[in-house]
This record gives sequence, C-alpha cells and structure tokens, in this order.
Amino acid sequence: MEKRSFVDVLFLLFRAELPNADQSQMLERLMIGLINPGPRHPATRAAMHAGVGKTNPAHILPISLSIMGGTHLGAGCVEDAMRFLRQAGKRDPQSVCDELLREQQRPAQGDWHPVAGFGSRFGSVDEIPGKLADHLSRLQGAGKALLWGCAFAKALRAHGMGWLFPGVAAAVLADLGFQPRAGAGIFQYLQAPGLLAHGLEMVNKPLTALPFPSDDNYFIEEDGDDC
Amino acid sequence: MNKDLMGKVSFFQVMILNAIGRLVEKPLADWFEAMHVGLSWPDARIWCNQIGALGGTMRSTVVAATVAGVLAADSRAYGQGTLLEGFAFIERALAEARKGASVRDIVAQECARHGGKPKFMGYSRPIAKGDERLAEFFKIQERLGFPVGEHLALALDIEKVLLEEFDETMNFNGYVSAFLADQGLTAQEAYQVCAVLVTSGVTACYVDTFERPPESFLPMRCDDIDYQGPPSRPVPSPEVG
Repeated sequence: MEKRSFVDVLFLLFRAELPNADQSQMLERLMIGLINPGPRHPATRAAMHAGVGKTNPAHILPISLSIMGGTHLGAGCVEDAMRFLRQAGKRDPQSVCDELLREQQRPAQGDWHPVAGFGSRFGSVDEIPGKLADHLSRLQGAGKALLWGCAFAKALRAHGMGWLFPGVAAAVLADLGFQPRAGAGIFQYLQAPGLLAHGLEMVNKPLTALPFPSDDNYFIEEDGDDC
Repeated sequence: MNKDLMGKVSFFQVMILNAIGRLVEKPLADWFEAMHVGLSWPDARIWCNQIGALGGTMRSTVVAATVAGVLAADSRAYGQGTLLEGFAFIERALAEARKGASVRDIVAQECARHGGKPKFMGYSRPIAKGDERLAEFFKIQERLGFPVGEHLALALDIEKVLLEEFDETMNFNGYVSAFLADQGLTAQEAYQVCAVLVTSGVTACYVDTFERPPESFLPMRCDDIDYQGPPSRPVPSPEVG
C-alpha cells in the first residue's frame, strides 16, 4: 500500500508483474478516459433506470455492466478488437482500411462498424474516443497497437468513421500485454464508476424523473408500419 | 428425481416446488402462471423492460439483458420486490382487524405511517390509475376454484375505504399479497416463487430493439441532457488541491 499506486496493483493483479512507469501512466490515463460512458450511453441509461426504478442498489452495477457487455460499443467487442489489432497491425493501415471497405457492404440503416472497435456513431465520427486515443498516443508508453489504430482511424475518417471507445481500450490493453479474453471484463470494470455514479444519482428522484412517453406518444406497430 | 416430475406436473408446479419445497396443486400453479403472464407485459416504458430494450439496442446477449431486467424488478417500487412489503401490510392489517380495529382505523393507521398519504404498498400506482388486471384476475381466481379468503376480503374492504376517502384503488401487489397469504404462503415464499416474474416481457423488449439498428431505441442527442449539477470548475493540480 505504501510502495505502489492503486493502478500499479491493478496491473499486477491481472498481469502478475508490476508495470514500469510508462505502463502505469498509460493505464491510469485510460482509466480516466473510460471512467464515465456518459448519460447517453445505453448502459448508463440502464443504470439510471435501475436507480430511478428503486431497484435494490446492489443491482445497479450488475445491471448496467450486463448491458455494457454488448457488442455494440460495449465490452463484447473488445476481444475481437484486440485480435484485429494484433493481426492487422502487421500491415499498412490504409491498405487494411481499403480492403475492409471493399469487402463489406455498409448497412442500409444505422451505423457501420466494419471491424470491432472502429466505425461511425450516429452517422459520423465519434470525436471523443479519437481525442482520447490522440492524447494517449503522445505518452511515452504509447505502443504499436495504439499508434497503428490512430493511423487506421485517420484512414477511416474519409468515410465518416473512426475510433470507438472499445477500440481505444483494446489497443491500450493489447500494448500493455493483457490477453484478449481479459479485455471484456477489464473494459467493463474501467467503465463501472461512471455507470454507478449515474445510477446512484437517480435513486432519490421520483419514479417519473426519466422521460416516460405518455400513452398518446406510445405506438404499438402493426405489420406494414415503417420502423 | 426429474423423471418423477417430467410430463406429470406442469412447469409452474416444478418452479414453485423448487422455490418453496412443496408441490402445490395445479390450480395454484395455474394461478401463478397467469400472474406471470400479467406481469411480463412487454411495454418498454416499464423500467425493467426498458433495460431489456437497452440491452437489445447495444447487442448484449439475450440472457444478459433479460437477467438485467429481472434484477431491475427486484425493486421497492414495483415488481416482485414489493411483495415483501405487500405481505407485511396485509398481515399487519389482518392482525389489527382480529384485535377489533375497524377498516377505517387500519387505513388511518397506515396513512399515518406514510406521512398522512394513502400511498402504501398494495394500493395506488406510480403512473397509471387503477389496475386493469384485477378484474381479470378475480375471474381467473373464481374459475380455478379459489374463494375469497380472509386476507383478500380485508384487502377489498380497505379498497372501499380508500376509494371513498382518497379515490385510490387496490393494485396488483395488494391483490397478489392478500391472495397468496390466503393460500398459506409466507412473504419470503411468494418472493422466491416470483424471482423471474417479469422475464418474458423483458425478453420481448430486448428482441424488439435487437432486430433494429443499434442505438435506434430512444436515442438521445447531446442537448437532450439537462445537466443540473454544480457548474464547471477548473481542476486544480494535485500540489494545489
């Protein structure tokens, strides 16, 4: 307790060795970058619903982390992103980008994630994970996967896509030597404080504090309706 | 052994057996099944169901999202979590009635526990008024051959007083707690049987959003967020702070 920071001991727990100063700084900055997915994220909204719905407070984290386990912007795609970065990192980022876009078809609706950890959000580049990746890439501990990912995101930008948060986490965790199978759980863990904070913020609010569409604005679709 | 039960009793009879250690007659299992149908209503506005819908839109697994919704209904405001308090109320009320208290006295005492308001467990609802499920349940109960027992009779008398004095009605919790108390279940047993009460509605809401593009379920814009916390402040560096 007296010799090492919390981050160092966290690293030790999962990697069975202490980090050097650069690794420690990299993990701590990643933790700060991921600490709060924000109130628009579906997993945060799940936490807020649990809070406002007067769910047993001990359930707020498991609920929101279950939603955070999804493969869309969640922990469920971190392992794939780590494997992608491991494989594709041996090749030219622009070539990989061109190949992916040539081989895949953009969905008719919604966002396009041609590979785990990268893609569009609400139709364009999500700038916030990009800023985190740029910040981390300037640190002494920046590794191959992160730097390659930055170049890859730059190539994707022309197509309205870029880094997504699971991609940034995957790159840093890969560079720090974490195994791909550890990626999902660690990503959930690093996002947990913000999920819990947003959930707890709602526990003393009235049940109606979150938007609740009235019956007039609640439609049950029938076959043939446009979604 | 499983072969003693498989094909011989209903799934709900087994579920109840596993939850309380007693094999109940089929009519009570059928009543529980109807109750699970009533409480697995797939309206994504209900808190637990909305969590399932958020799981679908984020591509969580169906199991993770459904379990998350089930956990959410373990609440003191709705869902199976309220049965403990619902039982406590009707059992307390019956004990008072047996000592000679009038129904009006019981209502007054309960209101006093809740700051003078008639917002106690089993009566009124957080958003809707009335409970459209109750009339159907009284029919189901009758069809299955269950008479109105001592707890339920008192619960109905309490509703009459609440209607007269506060225009409030019994809700599903009030009915279920009283009915199951009449069937000899304890609060904890009822809670155990109802562990996954909302599960099917949550799954339905998951599937609905899973089949649509990710994040298309009630998406929020940045300016939809109404931040009400402290104003922005500079972050001091460690040596200053």
